[in-house]
Amino acid sequence: MTRTDGERAADRGDRADRLARLREGVESHALTALAVLTSAALVVAFYYPTATVLVEAVVVDGAVTLGVFAEVLTDPFYFGEFARLLSGESPAAVARSLASPDRRLGIVGFTAYQAVLSTIASVALGLPAAYLLARFEFPGRRTLRSLTIVPFVLPSIMVAVGFVATFGENGTLNAALGALGLPPVDLLFTLEAVVIAHAFYNAPLVARVTTAAWESVDASAVETARSLGAGPLRAFVDVVAPQVYPAVLTGAALTFVFTFGTFPIVLALGGFQLATVEVFVYRLVRDLSYAEAAALAIVELVITLGVLLAYLRYEARNSTSTRGARPLPRRSLVPPAPTLRELLPRAGLAAYVAVAGIVFLAPIASMILASLTGGDGALTLDHYRFLAERQQTGAAFQVRPWPAIRNSLAFAAAATLLALPMGVVVAVLTTRRYRGRTLVDAAAMAPLAVSGIIVGLGLLRGLVFGIEIAGWRIAASGAVAIVVAHAVSGYPFVVRTVSPGLAGLDRSLVESARALGASRARVIRDVELPLVWPAVVAGAAFAFAISIGEFTSTVVLATGADAYTMPVAIERFIGRRLGPATAMGVVLLVVTGLSFVVIERLGGEHRGL
Amino acid sequence: MGSEPPTGSANDPPVAVELDGVTKRYGKTAAVDDVTLRVREGEFFTLVGPSGCGKTTTLRLIAGFEEPTSGTVRFGGESMAGVPPEDRDVGVVFQSYALFPHMTVGENVAYGLNFADPPEGTTRDERVADLLELVDLPDAADRDPENLSGGQQQRIAMARALAPGPDVLLLDEPMSALDARLRERLRAQVKQIQSELGITTIYVTHDQEEALAVSDRVAVMNDGTPEQVAPPRTVYREPATRFVAEFVGDNNTFAGRVVDAPAEGAIAVDVDGGDETLRVAVGGDEENGTERDATATRSAEVGDRIHFCVRPEHLRVASADGEPGPEADAPAGENALRATVASAEFLGETTRVTLDWGGRELLVRAVDPLDGAVTVGFDPSDAHVIEVETQ
Repeated sequence: MTRTDGERAADRGDRADRLARLREGVESHALTALAVLTSAALVVAFYYPTATVLVEAVVVDGAVTLGVFAEVLTDPFYFGEFARLLSGESPAAVARSLASPDRRLGIVGFTAYQAVLSTIASVALGLPAAYLLARFEFPGRRTLRSLTIVPFVLPSIMVAVGFVATFGENGTLNAALGALGLPPVDLLFTLEAVVIAHAFYNAPLVARVTTAAWESVDASAVETARSLGAGPLRAFVDVVAPQVYPAVLTGAALTFVFTFGTFPIVLALGGFQLATVEVFVYRLVRDLSYAEAAALAIVELVITLGVLLAYLRYEARNSTSTRGARPLPRRSLVPPAPTLRELLPRAGLAAYVAVAGIVFLAPIASMILASLTGGDGALTLDHYRFLAERQQTGAAFQVRPWPAIRNSLAFAAAATLLALPMGVVVAVLTTRRYRGRTLVDAAAMAPLAVSGIIVGLGLLRGLVFGIEIAGWRIAASGAVAIVVAHAVSGYPFVVRTVSPGLAGLDRSLVESARALGASRARVIRDVELPLVWPAVVAGAAFAFAISIGEFTSTVVLATGADAYTMPVAIERFIGRRLGPATAMGVVLLVVTGLSFVVIERLGGEHRGL
Repeated sequence: MGSEPPTGSANDPPVAVELDGVTKRYGKTAAVDDVTLRVREGEFFTLVGPSGCGKTTTLRLIAGFEEPTSGTVRFGGESMAGVPPEDRDVGVVFQSYALFPHMTVGENVAYGLNFADPPEGTTRDERVADLLELVDLPDAADRDPENLSGGQQQRIAMARALAPGPDVLLLDEPMSALDARLRERLRAQVKQIQSELGITTIYVTHDQEEALAVSDRVAVMNDGTPEQVAPPRTVYREPATRFVAEFVGDNNTFAGRVVDAPAEGAIAVDVDGGDETLRVAVGGDEENGTERDATATRSAEVGDRIHFCVRPEHLRVASADGEPGPEADAPAGENALRATVASAEFLGETTRVTLDWGGRELLVRAVDPLDGAVTVGFDPSDAHVIEVETQ
């Protein structure tokens, strides 16, 4: 009896041992497994679909050709005067035409031109904000600093609606001008409107990165310069500026890349007469000219990647770590003495705040106002009533509000659940130093640079229409494809929020845990993630917001299906009158805002961001 | 150099950690260059050297944070190639302590017990309590690591590393962030815990004084290679290389040519940069009887170039200002160097005096203040021959 008991116990012990060994085995390879899964997801959701589209630029009727490229590159419609350069004309002649007033820039040239203007506007609008946030102390400074992230994640189509409500024929700007007895202006469908809208998006980004760099300038460095005889201005030029300037360049490079690939803003505010490359890719796709669309998208990709790589090389050369620095003391907004030197910067800031208030608050306020204003100018709930009626009586082919809200939330939740682990895994993999890390980094970040239209189209034809692998047909519904597309466009932001935190962790924390017996994956769970938890929550909020606002690939994937989201619904409503679109915009604003609060509450036990 | 003579007898404890021709390259530079070392069970073994000498890399190779470019690390005779740090049964204490800031002190100490059972008959909580007791912080379990002083954090890091009962304890400059007095107290405590537990310990430090104070054996590293591996006394008294002579403690090194060998074990050297002919005893250090570098015991012949050193405490001030000094009658009169006082640092117990001897520096220890011209001397048997270059 005792013997069998003993044997049984030994048996149990054996099994427990084997289980423990199995668990250990799984744990020790968990990171590798996660990396493989993430790569597989990227291939299925991004690389393969994108490749199938891009390959059409060089493969026509089964034969490899560069003909489509040659056509695009030498077409003055796309490249303006530069096309003549590519078709063999002398550079001098081209330069003369470029200098003449009736020069043609072509679509690509114009896209770059508006991107440069937008970048200048964003930097001009962002730098004073950075100065204010980094150098002054005032109530609500922290809140304002965290609010700078908001414009960036606001759904672009909603912002576009806000701008129409502000700058349109019957917009608030003209109402204000009318009240002052001034003639109305029509900024809509002008380059100015597009540039201002881009600045709305990107100036806060510039402000954010610049503020961070400015805050990390060590006060002792400035004090050393001062003690060596440099005046305040000289100390700024010699010590502060060189440390802040790379961050400004970061903001500028990112702004250029984002505005070069702009789509919804231009579609809504510029129309086809101000078409950028991305808008034309969309148009070509709609016209089923896939080869030309793909060639154009590759041109766009090359330019975007070129700028990004040039910037990354610059960043690698100039990155300095100034951790543990004692920050410069902030000044009070109330001038300590009524001298010119104290008053001048504050007066400048006051003027800036007025301008910024108009740029950042007017579109949102106008949208809310327009949603509550009837055709006669009186306050009304008509537009919301229209949404409610459409919900009840709308035909099957019509866009109804509730499915849009439901889809948006469901897609965003699913996309976040997908993007979060992907982003964290990539962040872990790219934080460690090893050969080929830059390549992994670039490959993982590529979704930022590739046209959303092309990703959408690739997913549509690759996933929704189905692909055949070894006799198996893999097909997904439009909804699944949208979730995948959103996860792919959202996860780079998870990486970007989580990576700095991980990189900032003391390496010996990880190594201590390893030496104490924890596997690599276990260390991520026990040590690294808890310590960067605020960044993980922020990454989740990012992914969620990106998904809620995503328009470009959604509009491609939602064609004909009932998988439309709130931004798509807004775009469909814009067609008729502005009212319902603004009402839908307000709904989107409220839903996005609430989701942010919920995400922050869920992650609320870890504070610190 | 770089290899340890195969010393040891049947009574020596078995080898716990062995490095066999280990090299670690980063790009073209070798941080650790063909290192062969054996650390015995229960030994307190110290890697000491200036920054960049490869001592920390050596420790990281032992811990498994880095894999060697070539060569093998063995634990108890077993190759550790490809074995991740979590499977090596090592405890590591870093200079930054690396306490997990999101866990309490108790949770920190208990962390390793997630992966290893506490010793037979103890529970997890008892084990944590035992270790906090061991490092003399019995009531710290519920505190936040961030609220502890540097010295306390260092002791918690030690307790955490020891909790799972590792075979080898690895300490990477664990005291460098602490002030001098605390460092002295803590190193005594570390040494005491080490001998109490009898755990094999490999200690990395740049502080040669610390290395001499705590170690059973010291490896003095330079340029990725140990230049001497020996007990502290041997390293101090019989440095194997010029680098060791100058790195460990204050020293005066001389180079010159052997001009005469008047008797067995005695030579006369014409020193570079001086008019004096100095007498040096060779092969007379046998009473220290430990691992000696082969070059040092080789007898020098007339015409050979020779490097030797004399510790400041062996340089006696024979006379100051031409007046007979307190030790003027000492037998050291055989070697006399005429120099002038360049500077003096008052250290309390003694004064560290730098002399100018024909444009070269000499260090001496003095009790009384010194000034002006002095004559210093040393006993030929206090000179230690480092290197003989046969011509």
